[in-house]
Amino acid sequence: MRTRFRITLLALATVFGATLAHADVTLLNVSYDPTRELYEAYNVEFVKYWQATHHEKVTIRQSHGGSGKQARSVIDGLRADVVTLALAYDIDAIATNGKLLPANWQMRLPQNSAPYTSTIVLLVRKGNPKAIKDWGDLARPGVSVITPNPKTSGGARWNYLAAWAWALKQPGGSDATAKAFIAKLYHNVPVLDSGARGATTTFVQRGIGDVLIAWENEAHLAQKELGPGKFEIIVPSLSILAEPPVAVVDKVVLRRGTRAVAQAYLEHLYSKEAQEIIAKNYYRPRDPAVAAAHAADFPKVELVTIDLFGGWAKAQATHFADGGTFDKIYSP
Amino acid sequence: MRVSQGLVAIAVAAALLPFSYAKAEPDNTNESNDPAELKQEIQDLAQRLKVLERKLEVQQEAAQAAAAETPVVKAGPKGFSLQSKDGANVIKLRGLFQIDDRYFLDNTTPASASTAILRRVRPILEGTVNDIYDFRLMPDFGGGKAIIVDAYVAARFKPSFVVTAGKFKPPVGLERLQSGADIRFVERGLPTDLVPNRDIGVQISGDVFSGHVNYALGYFNGVADGTSSDNIGDVDSDGDGDAAARLFFQPGATADNFAWRGLGFGVAATYAHTDGTATNTGLAALKTPGQVNFFNYRTGTTATFADGTRTRLVPQFFYYYGRYGILGEYVESSQDVTRVNGALTRSGRLKNDAWQVAFHWFVTGEEETFKGYTPSSSFSLAERTWGALELVARYHQLTIDREAFVGGANSFADPDTQASKASAWGLGLNWYLNQNVKFALDYDRTRFVGGAAGGGDRNDEEVLLSRVQLSF
Repeated sequence: MRTRFRITLLALATVFGATLAHADVTLLNVSYDPTRELYEAYNVEFVKYWQATHHEKVTIRQSHGGSGKQARSVIDGLRADVVTLALAYDIDAIATNGKLLPANWQMRLPQNSAPYTSTIVLLVRKGNPKAIKDWGDLARPGVSVITPNPKTSGGARWNYLAAWAWALKQPGGSDATAKAFIAKLYHNVPVLDSGARGATTTFVQRGIGDVLIAWENEAHLAQKELGPGKFEIIVPSLSILAEPPVAVVDKVVLRRGTRAVAQAYLEHLYSKEAQEIIAKNYYRPRDPAVAAAHAADFPKVELVTIDLFGGWAKAQATHFADGGTFDKIYSP
Repeated sequence: MRVSQGLVAIAVAAALLPFSYAKAEPDNTNESNDPAELKQEIQDLAQRLKVLERKLEVQQEAAQAAAAETPVVKAGPKGFSLQSKDGANVIKLRGLFQIDDRYFLDNTTPASASTAILRRVRPILEGTVNDIYDFRLMPDFGGGKAIIVDAYVAARFKPSFVVTAGKFKPPVGLERLQSGADIRFVERGLPTDLVPNRDIGVQISGDVFSGHVNYALGYFNGVADGTSSDNIGDVDSDGDGDAAARLFFQPGATADNFAWRGLGFGVAATYAHTDGTATNTGLAALKTPGQVNFFNYRTGTTATFADGTRTRLVPQFFYYYGRYGILGEYVESSQDVTRVNGALTRSGRLKNDAWQVAFHWFVTGEEETFKGYTPSSSFSLAERTWGALELVARYHQLTIDREAFVGGANSFADPDTQASKASAWGLGLNWYLNQNVKFALDYDRTRFVGGAAGGGDRNDEEVLLSRVQLSF
C-alpha cells in the first residue's frame, strides 16, 4: 500500500512535469554565420509543412555565429535540437568531445548529410579597381584582403584551404610555396572577424578592404541586398567544394522529446520546395532539376574537395589547431 | 664715419640674409604637391582609420561575447555565490553558526545542564541548475555530532508545481518551518515537540491563486514527534510512512491595504501507521525550552511503543504588521500505543496537545516578517548606530493525555517521574548587530503538573538562554 502510494505520487509528478515541459514544440537550430536568410525562409516553409502534415505548431529558434564557436557552444551545453554548420569537422567535434550524437552521424542523411553545397569566390568593388582576377592577386602588395578568422569561422577555413589549393596547383607548387603564398595573403588582411557575416559587414558596410573572400551566397547577398551595383563577383580559376552538413543532436532531442520533428526538419531540406529556397538564397542545390533551373546563378568552376587535404581531421590538425600552420604564419 | 658704419652694417646684414632665410624655409623636398597623390594619401588614411574603428568593433563584440559567458561572483550578507551570466546555474555557500549558553536558575535542574554549546554549526551548500532544479546540502556539526540535516532537490516546474525529494522539513509545524536562523526565541516552543523535524520523502507543493494559497502534499518515511530521521539512522524504521499535507492561506498577499498583507493562516495534518517495538519504540521524549526532558513513555524491556495509527492536526496562523508580529499554532498528536508488561498487554490511543502564542516587536521600527529580518542600521561605534532591537514574549503549553498515566505499574508513562503538563512563558531580547550577526537573550519559566514522586508536581524550570549567531 505504502509503496504503491509512493510510486503513484512519483509517477504523477513525472507525468505532470513532462507534460508541462513539452506543452510547446520548439526547435533550436544552431547554424553558422551566413545562413540567416536561408533559414528564415526555410523555417516558414517547414512550419507550414509540419502544420499541414502533423497538425502541430512548431516554433523554430535560430542561433548563428562562427561555425567553430557554435560547435563549442553546443558542446558546452547550448541545447541545439539540430546543428547546421559550415563543415563536418565541427559536427565531428560535437560527436567526439560532447558525445551528443554518434560518430556515424554523417551517414544518416543523403549526400553526406549536406543538402546543399557552396564554394568560395572573391567579391571586389565595382570596376575592380585593384584588377583582382585570381587568388594570386590577393598576395600583391597594396591589396587589402578581408577574410574571417579560421580559428572561429568555418567559412574562413574553406577560404584558407581554397587559397592553399590554388597555390598547390600552380607550376612548381608545393606545401612550402603554398605556405609562403598564404603568409603573404594574410599579411594583407587588416581585420579578422570572428565569422563570415562579420567579414561581409567589414567589407560591404564599413568599406574596408579591396577584396572579400566569401561564401558564394554571401557574395550574392552583398550584391543583391547590401549594395546593388556596388560590387562584382570574381570567380577564381579554382575553388573548393564546401559541403555544409546538418545533423540531429541525439542527446538533446532525446531529453526534449523532439526527435521526430527535428529529423523531419532536416529531411525536408532535401524536398523540392526546400531546394528551391536553397537555390534562391544562392546555395548550390543537390536536386538536379532545381540545380538545372538555376544554372545561370552558379558558374562552373574547377573544384577541389577536402580530400585534397586528407580529410577534415588532418586539415584541422595541420593548419588550424593550436600551433598549426595558421598560427605560424599569422600574428595579430 | 657714420655713413661708413651704416654701409658696413648693411653689408653684414646682406651677407647673413641668405642663411636666415634658408633656416626659416621648411624642408619639403619629400612631399608631393600632386593632387592625385594627395588624394590617394587621404584615401589611404581614411582606410586605416576605418580599419582601426573596425578592429575596435570586433574587439568589443568579442568582449561582449566573453562577458555574456563570464560567471558572476558575488559575496555579501546573503553568502557567497557563483552564477552563470544568465542566472540559470548558481552555486551558493552560506552558513549558520550558533553558540549558546544555557544557565538554569532553578535549584532542581542538574548543574551539568548549565553549559555552553555549539548549538548549530551548519555550512550550507545550495544552488540551482538549469534555472529549475534547486538543491541544498546542509550538514550540522553542532552538539558534538556530524549529521546531514537537509539534502534535497526541488524541481520548480512552475510556481504552482514544485516537486521536492530528499531530506527536508515536512510541511507541518509553523515554527518548525521557520529556519533556525530566523526563529525569534533561542529554542522553539512546546508545540514543536509534537511535529516532525526532518524526514526523508517526496513532496509536491506550490503557490496558487496568485500566491494567496500555498499547498503541500508529501509522503515521508515517518518520524516520532519532535524528531528527525537521523535519530533513527535516516531509514524507515517501521516499514510504514507518513502522509503529510498543508494548506496555508494568505488572503491579503496582494491587497492594497497593507494591513492585510501580513495575515496568514492554515492547517497541516499527518497520517501514518506506525509499528514500533520495545527496542525501537517510535515514540520520543519531550523537552522543555531549556532542552531538558520532562516527559517520556516507559522505557526498557517493557517500554511503551507506537502500535497503530498516528495522526497530527496543526491549525496555525501568523500576522505581521509593521514592527509587530504574532505567531500561533495548536498541535494535536494522537498515537496508538501498546505496552507489554509481563503477561499483560495494554493498548490505547493517546492524544497529546500543545499550543503557543508568541509576540514580536521590533523596538527600533524594522518590519516583522515570518522569514528573515533586515536591520535598518548596523552596529557601529564610529557611526554611533546600534543595529536593531527586538523584544519577544510567548506563552506555550503542552498537555499529555491523562490516559498515559492510568494503570499504576502498567501505565504507559510513570506519573512519579514524568510530567503530565508543561506550561511556560518566556521573554526575550534580540539584538541584530547587522544582517548577519545577532545576539539573543531569553528567559523561560516552565511550570509542571505531575512528574514528582507521590503525585506531586515537578519543580519549575527557570532558564536563561543566550546565543551569539552568525548567519550568511
